[in-house]
Amino acid sequence: MQTAKKIGILLTILTLCGCGKSVTRVSIPVKVESEIDISRYSNFAVLPFVPEKEAARNEKLPEDIGEEIAAILRRGLARQKHFEVVSTQETARLLTGETVGEDWLTDTKRLNQLGEYFEVKGIIIGSFRFYSDSRPRRYYGERYSVQRQRYVMDYQDYMQKTYLLSLRVMIIDVETEQIIWDKAYRRSTAEAHTIGSFIFSQAGPQANTMRELGKRAASEFTRQISPHYEQEDRYLVN
Amino acid sequence: MLKYNRLAFIAILGSLMLSGCAILRDTSQTEAYNQFAIRAAQAQLWNEAIFRWKQVINIDPDDSKAHNNLGVAYEAIGNMDAAIAAYQRAAELEPDNKYYRLNYRRCRIHLRRSGVDDEAALHVEEEEPPTEQ
Repeated sequence: MQTAKKIGILLTILTLCGCGKSVTRVSIPVKVESEIDISRYSNFAVLPFVPEKEAARNEKLPEDIGEEIAAILRRGLARQKHFEVVSTQETARLLTGETVGEDWLTDTKRLNQLGEYFEVKGIIIGSFRFYSDSRPRRYYGERYSVQRQRYVMDYQDYMQKTYLLSLRVMIIDVETEQIIWDKAYRRSTAEAHTIGSFIFSQAGPQANTMRELGKRAASEFTRQISPHYEQEDRYLVN
Repeated sequence: MLKYNRLAFIAILGSLMLSGCAILRDTSQTEAYNQFAIRAAQAQLWNEAIFRWKQVINIDPDDSKAHNNLGVAYEAIGNMDAAIAAYQRAAELEPDNKYYRLNYRRCRIHLRRSGVDDEAALHVEEEEPPTEQ
């Protein structure tokens, strides 16, 4: 009797599981439109990015790093079919004798004149702040103890150095002198150091880390202002 | 004792009948098409999947699953009008199905963001995705 009851319950459960509708999750490409009016803002001039002077913690970087960030952004935008970008050489030629400073960020009149000079609809300008933050960390793990003949809890101290880049990107409408885009992009990366390697890292060049973070931030900006595809989940019913 | 035996017998009989139904359903032609189409969709072969789901609808025009799945496929290839129509049909046939509602809402939200669907989707809210079974 007991066996029959058990079989009955088991069969019921199995059947109910079988009868339930199952679903399959699939990712479909979904077109995401640009966050700006690309029919209006189709060509840009990208000016060199300026280091934020107020940020006292800025790491020592090569002087032309702002120009490098601008070049990364230019390359990213030029790859999009919707945009035309004034080339790096052309920008450098037209800016000969000028030094882009922090005061340019608020001087929309000057940027407007420059935009007319470049014959573009929008000027892209911005600033950056790059700094590092180091903190001692402790990693807990296990190691085999020969004396005790078993695994024991152990820890190791290290220095975690985090590089942070805050990139502020602005788009200025040349016609209206209005700021149509003003967003900050923050990117970070971390390294684990022993005391020895930490000292070397403090003295070593950090421009490559900065470039890498700059690329990531610039690509996020480019993605936002260009139409692109994203993956979104949908449910197929079996 | 006799009562328990009878109950157990009824439970076994019911289970067998239900499992029979399930087996019959799985082996049906529409089910085979649906399974094939789902595999095609997972491989991103959306046109093949559409072809199969259309065949399912030709056989059984009231198959809500096929309409829903067809909606997903149409959305994947960017045919938004057809996708909306398919989702609507699926929701009409089975209004309480949470997956149909979810797919339909997400499609409308996407249309609203693209600026295509301004008024109808204004009150559409994203709901939590249900757990997969």
